[in-house]
Amino acid sequence: MKNEIMGSVVEDQVKKKHLRKKHHRITWKQIKKQKEFMLISIPFLVYIIIFSYLPLWGWLMAFQNYRPGKALTEQVWVGLKQFRLLFLDERFLRVLRNTLAMSTINLILGFTTAIILALLLNEIKHRLFKRSVQTISYLPHFLSWVIAAGIVSMVLGSQGIVNVVLMELNIVKEPVLWLSEGKYFWGIVGISTVWKELGWNTIIYLAAMSAINPALYEAAEVDGAGRFKKMWHITLPGIRPTIVILLILSIGRILEAGLEVQYLLGRGMTMDWAETIDLFALNYGIKIGNYSLATAAGIFKSLVSVILIFGANNMAKRLGQERLI
Amino acid sequence: MNVKKRVLSMVAIMMVLAITMTGCGGKKEVDTSHLGNANGDNQTGDTDASAKNAAPITYSVFIGAPDQQLTKNNKIMALIEERFGVTFEFEYLVGDLDQKTGVMIASGEYPDIIVSNNTQDFINAGAYRPLEEYMSKDKTPHLYSHFEPYMNKIKADDGHIYVLPNYGRYYNDYIITDYVGPAFWIQKEVLKEFNYPEVKTLDAYFDLIEAYMDKYPEIDGQPTIGFEALSFDWRSFCLKNPPAQLSGYPNDGGVVVDPETHVAEVFCNTDKAKPYYKKLNEAYNKGIIKADTFIQNYDEYLARLSTGAVLGMFDQGWQFAAARDSLIAQGKIERTWAPLAITYDESITPYYLDRGALNIDRGFGISNQCKDPERFIQLVDALLTEDWQKILSWGIEGEDYMVDEKGMFYRTEEQRLNQEDTAWKLANKGGQFFEQLPKLEGTFSDGNAFSPGSQPYEYRSALKEIDIELLDAYGVDYISELLGRAPENRKDYPAWQIPLGDGTDAAVAEQQLHETQLRYIPQLILGSPDKFDSGWEDYLDKFKSIDIKAYESRINEGIQERLKEW
Repeated sequence: MKNEIMGSVVEDQVKKKHLRKKHHRITWKQIKKQKEFMLISIPFLVYIIIFSYLPLWGWLMAFQNYRPGKALTEQVWVGLKQFRLLFLDERFLRVLRNTLAMSTINLILGFTTAIILALLLNEIKHRLFKRSVQTISYLPHFLSWVIAAGIVSMVLGSQGIVNVVLMELNIVKEPVLWLSEGKYFWGIVGISTVWKELGWNTIIYLAAMSAINPALYEAAEVDGAGRFKKMWHITLPGIRPTIVILLILSIGRILEAGLEVQYLLGRGMTMDWAETIDLFALNYGIKIGNYSLATAAGIFKSLVSVILIFGANNMAKRLGQERLI
Repeated sequence: MNVKKRVLSMVAIMMVLAITMTGCGGKKEVDTSHLGNANGDNQTGDTDASAKNAAPITYSVFIGAPDQQLTKNNKIMALIEERFGVTFEFEYLVGDLDQKTGVMIASGEYPDIIVSNNTQDFINAGAYRPLEEYMSKDKTPHLYSHFEPYMNKIKADDGHIYVLPNYGRYYNDYIITDYVGPAFWIQKEVLKEFNYPEVKTLDAYFDLIEAYMDKYPEIDGQPTIGFEALSFDWRSFCLKNPPAQLSGYPNDGGVVVDPETHVAEVFCNTDKAKPYYKKLNEAYNKGIIKADTFIQNYDEYLARLSTGAVLGMFDQGWQFAAARDSLIAQGKIERTWAPLAITYDESITPYYLDRGALNIDRGFGISNQCKDPERFIQLVDALLTEDWQKILSWGIEGEDYMVDEKGMFYRTEEQRLNQEDTAWKLANKGGQFFEQLPKLEGTFSDGNAFSPGSQPYEYRSALKEIDIELLDAYGVDYISELLGRAPENRKDYPAWQIPLGDGTDAAVAEQQLHETQLRYIPQLILGSPDKFDSGWEDYLDKFKSIDIKAYESRINEGIQERLKEW
């Protein structure tokens, strides 16, 4: 049985590869045949060009001592000075470390928790209960970070519920000031993000799970597979393409550990752990009017993202998985 | 085929809609201008000089502060419209000012008039129109004489005038009654409890707080908090500025300026700062300061002050006004705070109360896209007459204030209550428009104070019982007198106004100084007292990699420029 399933999956992939090969040869005939599609895609193409490619013009700022409100010809060109400043700043290394650490934590926590919750929800047959759990778990997603951070800092405050519980249980004697210690910061951000985004992240997995052919479960049941076996051998492989694609996308965003959370939860005392690239660009770029430095930081981020996306994509290809590009 | 038709007809409908809509818009505009002309013609009959070009005009105004829109038929604005044919469309700040500024500058699209704290950014971007050409002895006599003594001060670095400063030009007698500047604040109840003692030094201040805490560990069921030091974001001057003031210097921001040599120097890593943080360290270990004061954000700080359980803090009065108002609304006036001018020791003369310096770089500026700058300046000029200033500041005689037989203005109890009613104020006061106008602060030529709050009788009448008791106990007439006399301003005062320039080394250094202080000062305070001295040495080390010189020399440059030009 198992072999058969595997067989069909492989067959599927072979078919897909075939299809892809065919698409590679673009002929006039084909273009003519698909002219409606092409027409439909034009507005989106224009949209992308206007909003994603034209702004790249602004990258020129990174090579200038940019002063707002002046024409391009009046700007002072400084070559790679801004990049040099950026990479020679010891603070930037720390900022990079924070960014990578926080987004890795978010990535791992986010993925595992969302997949686990989706698997569990998928097993629930009672519709009303399932729906309520889902709704409750994705409600925080709709809160803005400003409010969410307010809740987090209240919960973690010296009179907050966390400290009250810990003190009642005699685990700590004095309230712990969670937000004043740099070493807790990454964890707090990770857990807050999971709390806020968990429910939302499960939606896509649940959708993928609902597309799995029920016949597979029935067949597995006939073969004597229990709940966990079914999860492991059918559900998980069934959503594997989704997982891989989401993973590739997230890896591309690994330098985007966020700005709002750190800005709102970070305090002067925890800055060494809280400052991400975005926050750095805000504090040392936009706040003090050094737009060029902020742009240089942005370019660096984009370049790393592109490299990472291609890397991850390549890796997926080698492992024979679904790919993005 | 069918589908195609449907799509086509949809497109057609949309286009028709679009055309009619734009058509409507255009027509409406024509209509209003037409109406306006008629109105304007009526206006010409009026006596005002400006009425000759009184075709109605609407200026769009960006106000860089969050506020509520005035009501549609606001009394003051209606009066201005009636007299001058000028109306305004106000856009108030939503969100972050720096961000909004950036967006405006990047797009290059400005409203007619811009008011914000980011004047320098707009100047650098060329967003403002120079105002000199519209200001002259003949065309704008009031404005001209108003700013004449300060022409060099209000000029930007390039020699042009871009904004009309809103505050700080005084006429005749000037009495500061209330105080909203920096001070060590202490709950009025604490002073009362100990029979209004003289508190002059930092030690005495903390001793008093400690004594009160020992007596009352709880206030209204909340644990008493001795002292708060807000250390959030830019508001962290509460943590950073006290050492300068304790050493007898005025508020110059991040530096102290020698009054003799006019040399500015950073003080956060000097012996001026050490005794203060050592004191806070001691206070923390006695339980007077709670550790979470350093992780509170501004809202949490206000919330805590509003409980009435906080005995003291260093802050500027305007920053916690919301908490004070909340306490008053709760009927806990005795839990509000009185300002104290304390120093390290009694030999140092405190310098908290200052003479308001001209608030340069703040006020109305006209953007380069303004339709009719001249008309606006004319309006500001006309509003700078005593008659208009009385209307703007006091209101309408008989409606908003009364005049006694000696010609002195006062308010009835009802009129006073109106002033506390936000909704009433939105309908009857000039709001931000008035806030940002140049003003005849001080005293009018008939002896009335410019603002009701400075009118001695009004001030006294608005005081609550405990305030009168407190003032009497210290033998003073006004709260501000608790802080002593304001010395003559240094010519270059205040240094915090000096712009550091976009992205300069000085700006970077300032940001680094700021972050380093916020990062390490709380650590020093939260340590054990015996480790303070070694901790201080470590703290000093953190400043070694910062280009403090760049920051200091930029400030000193600014001071020298001011000494030369002002």
